[in-house]
Amino acid sequence: MDTPQPSPLVRKRGRRERKTRRSVLVAERVARTAISLGGGLTIATVSLICVFLAWVVFPLFGAATLSPARALAGGRASEPIVACAADEYASLMWVLERSGRVTVLRVDTGAALESLSVSEQAQPAALGFDAASNVVAVGTADGAVRLATLGFEVSYPDPASAGEALAKLRPGERTLFSGGLAERLPDGQVRCVRLQLSISEPFELGAGKQGSAPRLLDLNVTESGATVAALFEDGRLTVGALKRTTNMMTGAETLRFRGGDLPAPNAPHEELPIALRLLGAGDNVLLVWRDGHGVRYDARDLSSATAAESLELRQAPEVELTQVDAALGERTVLVGDSKGGVGAWFRTRPEQAGTVDGARMARGHWFEGDGVAVTALAPSATSRSFAVGRADGRFELYFLTSEKRLAEGRTPDGSAVDALCLAPREDALLVHSAGGWSAHQLTSHHPEASVSALLRPVWYENYEQPEHVWQSSSGADDFEAKFGLMPLVFGTLKATFYSLLFGVPLALLAAIFSSEYLAPRTRVAVKSTIEIMASLPSVVLGFLAGNVVAPLVQNSLAAVLASFYCVPIALLFGARLWQLAPQGLVLRLVSWQRLLVIVLALPAGLLAASFLGPWLEDLAFGGSLDAWLDRQHGGAAPGWFLLLLPVAAVGATLGVARLADAWVRRVSQHWSRARCAQFDFVRFCATGVCACLLAALAAALLDVAGFDPRGSLLDTYTQRNALVVGFIMGFAIIPIIYTLSEDALSSVPEQLRQASLGAGATPWQTALRVIVPTAASGLFSAVMVGLGRAVGETMIVLMAAGNTPIMDWNVFSGFRTLSANIAVELPEAVEGDTHYRTLFLAALALFAMTFVVNTGAELVRQRFRRRAYQL
Amino acid sequence: MTELEFDPKPRVAQPTASPARSVRRRDKRRATSLFAHGEPMVWLTGGALGLALAMISTLLFVVISRGLPTFWPQPVVEIATHDGQRFAGEVALSESFVIGPEALAALPADAAARARAALETSGGEIDRRMLRSGNYDLTGTHFRWVSDFEVAAESTPEWMLCVERLEWGRFYGVPTALEFDGRRSEGPSAQLWAEFESAHAQTRATWSERRSIEEHDIGRLAKAKEEARLAVRSAELEYGLQSPQRAAAEREATALSAELDEEMRALGERIEELKALNAGRRLLVRTADGAQATLPLEQVVRAYPANQLSAFDKLAVYASRVEEFLLDSPRESNSEGGVFPAIFGTVLMTLIMSVLVVPFGVLAALYLREYARPGPLVSAVRIAINNLAGVPSIVFGVFGVGFFCYTVGGGIDTWLFPERLPSPTFGTGGLLWASLTLALLTLPVVIVPTEEALAAVPRSMREGSYACGATKWQTIWRIVLPRAMPGIMTGAILALARGAGEVAPLMLVGASKLAEELPIDGAFPYLHPERSFMHLGFHIYDLGFQSQNSEAAKPMVYTTTLLLIALVVVLNVVAIWIRARLRRRFQGAQL
Repeated sequence: MDTPQPSPLVRKRGRRERKTRRSVLVAERVARTAISLGGGLTIATVSLICVFLAWVVFPLFGAATLSPARALAGGRASEPIVACAADEYASLMWVLERSGRVTVLRVDTGAALESLSVSEQAQPAALGFDAASNVVAVGTADGAVRLATLGFEVSYPDPASAGEALAKLRPGERTLFSGGLAERLPDGQVRCVRLQLSISEPFELGAGKQGSAPRLLDLNVTESGATVAALFEDGRLTVGALKRTTNMMTGAETLRFRGGDLPAPNAPHEELPIALRLLGAGDNVLLVWRDGHGVRYDARDLSSATAAESLELRQAPEVELTQVDAALGERTVLVGDSKGGVGAWFRTRPEQAGTVDGARMARGHWFEGDGVAVTALAPSATSRSFAVGRADGRFELYFLTSEKRLAEGRTPDGSAVDALCLAPREDALLVHSAGGWSAHQLTSHHPEASVSALLRPVWYENYEQPEHVWQSSSGADDFEAKFGLMPLVFGTLKATFYSLLFGVPLALLAAIFSSEYLAPRTRVAVKSTIEIMASLPSVVLGFLAGNVVAPLVQNSLAAVLASFYCVPIALLFGARLWQLAPQGLVLRLVSWQRLLVIVLALPAGLLAASFLGPWLEDLAFGGSLDAWLDRQHGGAAPGWFLLLLPVAAVGATLGVARLADAWVRRVSQHWSRARCAQFDFVRFCATGVCACLLAALAAALLDVAGFDPRGSLLDTYTQRNALVVGFIMGFAIIPIIYTLSEDALSSVPEQLRQASLGAGATPWQTALRVIVPTAASGLFSAVMVGLGRAVGETMIVLMAAGNTPIMDWNVFSGFRTLSANIAVELPEAVEGDTHYRTLFLAALALFAMTFVVNTGAELVRQRFRRRAYQL
Repeated sequence: MTELEFDPKPRVAQPTASPARSVRRRDKRRATSLFAHGEPMVWLTGGALGLALAMISTLLFVVISRGLPTFWPQPVVEIATHDGQRFAGEVALSESFVIGPEALAALPADAAARARAALETSGGEIDRRMLRSGNYDLTGTHFRWVSDFEVAAESTPEWMLCVERLEWGRFYGVPTALEFDGRRSEGPSAQLWAEFESAHAQTRATWSERRSIEEHDIGRLAKAKEEARLAVRSAELEYGLQSPQRAAAEREATALSAELDEEMRALGERIEELKALNAGRRLLVRTADGAQATLPLEQVVRAYPANQLSAFDKLAVYASRVEEFLLDSPRESNSEGGVFPAIFGTVLMTLIMSVLVVPFGVLAALYLREYARPGPLVSAVRIAINNLAGVPSIVFGVFGVGFFCYTVGGGIDTWLFPERLPSPTFGTGGLLWASLTLALLTLPVVIVPTEEALAAVPRSMREGSYACGATKWQTIWRIVLPRAMPGIMTGAILALARGAGEVAPLMLVGASKLAEELPIDGAFPYLHPERSFMHLGFHIYDLGFQSQNSEAAKPMVYTTTLLLIALVVVLNVVAIWIRARLRRRFQGAQL
């Protein structure tokens, strides 16, 4: 605040100078700027959190982009293209034509580098290609087969010593160099990519059957060896393994084929199948005809291979199949038809498969066409993406598992796509049509993620049906990461549910007692103690949950479960006994003394539980609760009885009250206090017996009806489970709920309380009918804040929940929450990949969830405060 | 509370009764209010409160009762079993369990009979003890269970030593001979023990010197060498591969490297010398089952004749172990030794965090309360900040790792430390990022109480100050802030407590299982904010949940837990105390 300028008149009179010192004004301005800037920045930083999380998550849902077509000058194939592949850096590609000719093209210009042949003869009888190993099986008319390996060789020659051409190369430029293509990289190195073609010695498919030429060939190369399947002109189908033997004398390697014939397909077919595929590790053979018929052979045992099942691979009877290929890992077959649809088939193991090997092919994914035939299929060699080319020149890129359409394009001249080549890094897509090759640059970020893949059941390869699965890593190379968030969301809800179930009643009841029945000084002490409980690091709670509570619960499960019944019963029972005590004593003990008396019931209840639990276990659960939960013995009735007992108790109490209250009120008017107490005691015992009878009856009925609690709420016991987490996390949220609800109860205006008591209501009636209803919104907001805390709690669930991402409500099984999952997996996630972004999505979901819940609670609380002030 | 006197003839018994009926039955309404007192429900509420209090006391009791006695030396019992095994150890745990019939059948007749008799009296359960039997290098196990009925004989041999070693855990055995600098003495145990004590002190002094050379001097040399290599790489990046600058740096590095190698060789010789000196200093020990073992003296951290310690000796062992726990580094994959780096890391991280969070939190609160124009926007910001306190801490960790480590840290790396890439300097978890993340996390803990405290300063005081001609800043600085100090202090201390106990975000942004170097050392620039650090909470998680040998690590976890709880609880109690004290101080001045 600026002081008003003193008038010159005042100064003249020699009074004290009233001008504000310059330093004060400067300090004022500096402080204003600094505080506004610092405060504003701090608040901005806080909002940055949400923005940043969203910024990381956003690319997850972005589509791939495909650059416009760049027509390549050369390399137009004159014959049907059998296979093509580009190298990892998308600088070269080779194209194998039906004639056996291999052309090597530059991806950037389309210029042909060289032309080779995989076959010595003019026209090979059949060609089979294994994309994983880049090996082509070349069958010739005389029945011999050669293996041609088309590998890209990458070298980094020293530019200084390699000659003029390389030394002058500027970063990004490419030039031909010793039969390959050299490129200067941004860091100064030169990378040279070259195609290496090696052709093996020929081998015969089956001894003594020379001469009949193979018509279809497929091969599958794995680490342990290669499997070859062939269909001959005479309809014979053979499959077998290749063995590499080295001649000791000459050192020459020879390949030997060992295998057997498969029975001819039963159904009569005029024409040859359009495809022969080896599936999996080469232990299944699939034949596919144009009319949609397919036969799968079980070839695990080569000597007795049989047809396992006959398939109908078409979607509708009028279509024809046009293209067949296998996705990464060779377990999923992609089948394209004349109406443009593409189906993905893989083996599943349903319970009633009805086949010799217990498996059945099922169509896991279906990509609806728009009536234009599929003319080319190109699965990616590194992921589950695949490209589909159509007769009208359009082509699309899909991701198999998420069924997401990533990108689409069209050939420049609109002629049919007859071959597609997807670069290994999925950064380029090459399309061949009548007009020759054209290249597209491709950026595809996270094809496996989509809203439906993250949140809905997804049919993963070899699963029986679509499921929610979270499995982010595994040892296998061709493993597919499964990012179904639902099991984690479910785990979070389960943890929250059980901890609220335990924590909320305790915290609210405790708050009522301390606000209504404790003297102010005691209340402050109790509240401080519980506030300290709130400050306990959750890692300590988690450690104790995992190392103390979990073993304790496991060792004495029956007693622990019994204590959930015994402790409340002991309290209710104790209250009845207390009513019988002399009135003078009851009135003298108030506040903490009364609390002390009440607390005595706790050890009594626990003691009773420690006897009753094992006794019940012997009596009703065959001596072992674990085995009963595991369904090894015993019926459902005892479980139902225990589950229904609380419900029955509430029902019996209400029933007795409804039936007898009016009468009790009438007759008890002249009773003495002791008489009332005695009556209440008897009534309590009678209600208990009624509750037991009710529960037993309901349990018997449910048992007879065939319902079993095992399988839903109760099931096999694991050491780290929801019970333990519910207990300890309940412990963690009790203080916060308690403190907030105590605040709410205490801030109910005192005059309300006084008025109620003055009108003759008892403290309990005042609490129940006046205080709690007034503070209800405050109590609600306290529960909401507790819920927010439970949703995000990390260390306790991490250390005590077992971290298995499964979905069931079983209180005795573990789970994995969003927060624990982040803590476990984020340190190992690679920055920027799908896993990393999915974990950020989980964090964003947690952020949003708790923020919404807390804001709701805050608004309710503010309303409550306003209302409380008005009262 | 207001306790109503019990009135056998209360005037209101049926609050729901209609007025007409109540008039008619006025004389009859003599019902007791016993049912209206709702005693059973009151007991339920009281029981809930009692349960909550009982749970927290049980928890503290469990931690204290398991944490405090960890370092207390136990007697070593030697046990001979019926199947002829002999072993010695400290009793770590005893419990009763249900025994199967086949275990009884395997016993000799008399023992089986005794066991059966014991079973009958105890109702089918029998006691067993878990002995920390040590001697891992000989037996391959740290612990073994022994049931009472298996015991044929039990004794506490007078000269059974408990030896704590640098490797392989504890050793239990009776000394038979001592070799010291070529001299071998085989006298009686008492004399051996006296000799051992002086020999051990000498050996450990030699060992400390060697360790100091290995850790500090060699580390310094290695670092100097690495600096030279980085200088070459830096010149290469800046001026190119063929540049004269790079050649100069290379020459310098080669020269330095030769120099350092020379120094290294000298140190190596000294180390070999010390090693050779200690090699001949050994204690020969006989274990309970009669095996002979040789313990190099320099491997012995501490040894004591467990069965003849006086209470004072035990206290001395206890104190020495506590000292080791608080001041030494961990060894044996953290399950033994001390937690000094973790204490240091926790304290340093919390301090840096509070240096960051308190000023900015107070600034933000001042801005919100004093400078920002009140309106819906400010209310929204206030609610948002309030709710930030409820956002799960792991979310802050995710933000920290994504924003601080990868984005900001990665940027700093490419800008300032390109020569070290691809190994990250700031681009990974570290002290600074952890402190910043926790500062964000605890920001609402500071802002909310500070704002409340600012709001609680009476308007009349401000107006008085303005009326005296003070500017806004003068009013804030001289009048408002001092009055709001309790709130600010409370917020700051609660932030400290929260920061010290929080683990989940640290798992992502820089706490590590074992940090090689402390974040503060003698090398320029002394404080290394990019280093990863150890943290008490993470230590508990790691030891209690990830440890290989979890049984042996358990005592350490409990003591660490005790330490962490003590730290957090003390901070909280201090906060509560300061709040109460300062409130009282200002109570009189309340206007």
